[in-house]
Amino acid sequence: MSSRLVLALPSKGRLMDNSVALLERAGYAVEGNGGRGYRGTLGGLDDVEIAFLPAGEIAQQLAAGAVHLGITGVDLIGEYAEARQGAVEIRARLGFGHADVVVAVPRAWLDVETMADLDEVSATFYQAHGRRLRVATKYPNLTRRFFAAKGVTGYLVVDSLGATEGAPAAGTAEVIVDITSTGSTLRANWLKVLADGVILRSEAVLASAGIAGLGRGARSAFAVLCEALARIPAENRPQP
Amino acid sequence: MPGKDPALSAALDAQAREIADVFGDAGYELVEPRILQPADIFLERAGEEIRQRTYVFSDPGGAMLCLRPDLTVPTCRYYLERGPGDGSEARYRYHGPAFRYQPAGEDGMHPREFEQAGIEYFGGRDAEAAEVEVATLGIAAVERAGLTDYRIRLGDLGLFSALLRAVPMPERWRRRLMHHFWRPHAFRETLTRLASPRPAPAGEAASLLQQLKGADPARARELVGDMLAASGTPLFGGRGIDEIAERLLDKVRDLDARPLDRAAANAIESYLAVRGHPREALATVTDLAARSAIDIDAALAACDRRLTLLADQGVDLDRSLFSAEFGRNLEYYTGFVFQIEVDGRRGAVPLAGGGRYDGLMQDIGANGPIPAVGCAIHTERLLVAVRGEAAS
Repeated sequence: MSSRLVLALPSKGRLMDNSVALLERAGYAVEGNGGRGYRGTLGGLDDVEIAFLPAGEIAQQLAAGAVHLGITGVDLIGEYAEARQGAVEIRARLGFGHADVVVAVPRAWLDVETMADLDEVSATFYQAHGRRLRVATKYPNLTRRFFAAKGVTGYLVVDSLGATEGAPAAGTAEVIVDITSTGSTLRANWLKVLADGVILRSEAVLASAGIAGLGRGARSAFAVLCEALARIPAENRPQP
Repeated sequence: MPGKDPALSAALDAQAREIADVFGDAGYELVEPRILQPADIFLERAGEEIRQRTYVFSDPGGAMLCLRPDLTVPTCRYYLERGPGDGSEARYRYHGPAFRYQPAGEDGMHPREFEQAGIEYFGGRDAEAAEVEVATLGIAAVERAGLTDYRIRLGDLGLFSALLRAVPMPERWRRRLMHHFWRPHAFRETLTRLASPRPAPAGEAASLLQQLKGADPARARELVGDMLAASGTPLFGGRGIDEIAERLLDKVRDLDARPLDRAAANAIESYLAVRGHPREALATVTDLAARSAIDIDAALAACDRRLTLLADQGVDLDRSLFSAEFGRNLEYYTGFVFQIEVDGRRGAVPLAGGGRYDGLMQDIGANGPIPAVGCAIHTERLLVAVRGEAAS
């Protein structure tokens, strides 16, 4: 690890645009080309190096201690970093990238409204069909933890690579755990969110890993950035 | 952890020979199940505690595999695929590596990679005799390895399921409670809900259930079909209209059913709180059942016989603790459970444990339940404990 502070920013999309805009509002211009380059610098803070990474990878790199600070989603931190207890800390909620991670089932399942219903269906599905109920998701860890807390067992997690919401209609899964901001994609795919099926409400956050081993300049840049981003007044934040 | 030094390896080898002697002399045949195992059975049946700690990965061919987190399931698969597999008797012993993620980091008591030694006794027809044989051998093995100061924790999931069977309630409620035994929080919630007056259903569900009131299954299927057709909702997700209608009818029945008797709910709660000397605990449970007019005589007699057999075999019941709740961490147990433990800095540390798991074989492919009792020793931990004793 370099002695400079590594700040990871999302490498594409609105998450990247909003992150860059937020830093600029805080007085730090992002230099370097997010879309094409992998590295950048921060105007006004010499000890900072910017790494442009996919948001999911930012959460993983934070958990691994390979970057010191990062902007990513609560959902991704929950998925990739929570098993490493205390390794990643959320420093500031940034007010953009709002979305919920939810459990959704086919709308035709008129008898299933709650996680308790899903548990009963999961328990009897095997007897009726000779296979386990499948849950398609990009969030296997979040799914397992949430289902365990709700007492749901007997299901199988299926890794979803593409459009998770299409899995039930395509017959590759019965249930999905996915991220949704308005719910319209779910509705269009004839799915419904369970009444107590919101796993978490996500938004973009500034998160930190351990900074042991960093020099003085990088440490002070760390403190400055944490403070600056936590302090951006709500009205100055990028619109979701 | 870089690996074992020669001194540690030698100590573990010596311990392994002692344990192997005890199990081998009792007629248990050595088997060597695979380290790489299909992941699903562990993920589905072992319960959350093991599931979150299993190393799972996909191989280049796309198969989901895991490094076995214990040897019980692999030994069951061995019995089904290489052994008799038909429910006839087999006694196996094993000794080999198992792997568990340690969320709080690795140390001597919590290695990620450890050697498990154990036995599984399949197809034993005399239930209590089989249980006592396995438990006694487990105790003999840790003693042969040098352990002298330990406690035996006992539990009995058979007593719990007998209690549920004896309390009058619809079968589906019983299934629900049984299913939640392993999750204390969900269990208590379910019990409370079943013992309370039902809240009137709200929203969409209310009118749906109202329409289904008094409908027979055929009529219910028709109504559900009409409802889906009216909104143009496509039917996917594997379940048919009959399954959906059947569960809706269950809900209608739940609404009309009398709540679970308060006294019975209390008896179930009181049972789960029982702990103490096995003889005293058994007396408490007997008393509890009598007072609540719950007939669990057969299960009590089995428990009594097991304790007598254990004492006959020289197991010191005075250093045993019965805990009705015990067994809530591994989902495949169905009856007698036990654990050999020592006191650590942060509570009891299990060194060995096991019990009865009659349903597991069926879950992994047998045609019906096969009686199974097993015991596994965490050998590294046992060594740490024995050395700790020697040092103090």
